[in-house]
Amino acid sequence: TSSKSVSPHALCSFSFSSWLPRSVPFRGGHWQGSVLAFRASLPVRAQPKKKKKVDVRREQAQKDRMKKKIKKLEKAAPELIPIEDFVAPLKYSDSNRVRSLPPLSFEETERRVLLLKKWCLFKQKQDEAEKKAIQTLVEAQQEALEELRLESEELYQAAIRRDEGLFPFERDGPDYTPPIPGYDPPEGKCMDITKVYTQ
Amino acid sequence: TTASPRPWRLFGAMCLLRLPRITQPLEKEEEEVAALMGQIELEKSHYSDHEMRKLEEEEQLRRRKESMFDDDEAPGKTVIMAQDLEDKWEQKLLQFKAAPRITDADKKNNRKSLNRRLDNNLLLLVKQKIGNQELWLLPQVEWQPGETLRSTAERAMAMFLGDHIEAKILGNAPYGIYKYKFPKAIRTEHNVGAKVFFFKAFLQSSDLSQAELKEDYLWVTKDELGDYLKSEYLKKVNRFLLD
Repeated sequence: TSSKSVSPHALCSFSFSSWLPRSVPFRGGHWQGSVLAFRASLPVRAQPKKKKKVDVRREQAQKDRMKKKIKKLEKAAPELIPIEDFVAPLKYSDSNRVRSLPPLSFEETERRVLLLKKWCLFKQKQDEAEKKAIQTLVEAQQEALEELRLESEELYQAAIRRDEGLFPFERDGPDYTPPIPGYDPPEGKCMDITKVYTQ
Repeated sequence: TTASPRPWRLFGAMCLLRLPRITQPLEKEEEEVAALMGQIELEKSHYSDHEMRKLEEEEQLRRRKESMFDDDEAPGKTVIMAQDLEDKWEQKLLQFKAAPRITDADKKNNRKSLNRRLDNNLLLLVKQKIGNQELWLLPQVEWQPGETLRSTAERAMAMFLGDHIEAKILGNAPYGIYKYKFPKAIRTEHNVGAKVFFFKAFLQSSDLSQAELKEDYLWVTKDELGDYLKSEYLKKVNRFLLD
């Protein structure tokens, strides 16, 4: 005899593999049947013979409905991906965020206008100088090619041939300070939190 | 093809440029306008999150100073103020020392070094013997039949700097030409003078420790060329050099 008393609820929660041979006389109820017929004694719902056709038809009908829905969604125009740079987030248009600065004096506005006019002139001169430099560059090259042609046609043809290896030409632009030799930059992790939209 | 005697001898010369490493200093107008743009941007902007936090904390401090009843509100909390953060960032910035824009080579005016005048283009000049004169020139070498002028220029560069030079030659066409007639003593019907074709290249590798520079050489900027080159030669070279 076992020392513990096993309740019927505990019996039916036993898994088949942990079935103790000693508790066989303690069968919980009429629904236990025999140990081997454990699975067959469970109530069966569907009728085994009609299972194939009805389900196949139902599944096909479901698939058609899904396809129709997908077609409808695809026909609708794709949503435009919002450009986050053009939309200012609402929290920055609060009134308490407006900067409080003293208003500009008349002298200050005058100074600004005059400075911008000087800038206009400066930029114009700079642009003209650049264009002139490019013009002399082109003229010098044309002169060189003419002289070369006078010398030898073969060399001239070799010179005006396109250089395939020249483009794409890449170069890192100049910085404000030169690079420090042997500089070890501090370790850091860059977490990219840009939102990616799919259409 | 019959080798007809050419009255002009052809030379290929290489104009090797080291591109600038730092930006040029701003002109007076540029600086003024840059300051103005910064000012306008500040005026048109709104407060950022950090500035809002700073303002609120200043308000709190002020209120606490005026009325002493807030002492029991924040007993044990160690709150980091926005001002403290700013000070911390400032300290961190001061700890970093950037390399100086005016290098040692600048101060000593060491014209053989590539570290000089980092905001300008540096051009290679070598001392060559032409006729019976030793002149400062862009490295040049005589053209030999069977090669293009570009390869002549490459050969000139390799002769003076060795084979391990990484330079990007800008195209097959020459950038300029210098034509001169030999002095009357040497001039013959078939040997009137010489034409020197200039090619331009950008120096890619920054260290020339492997280069075996045999002759006298210099790296100079466009405005210093006048110290070394003859006037006619200089005029032609200046046409295809941008500042």
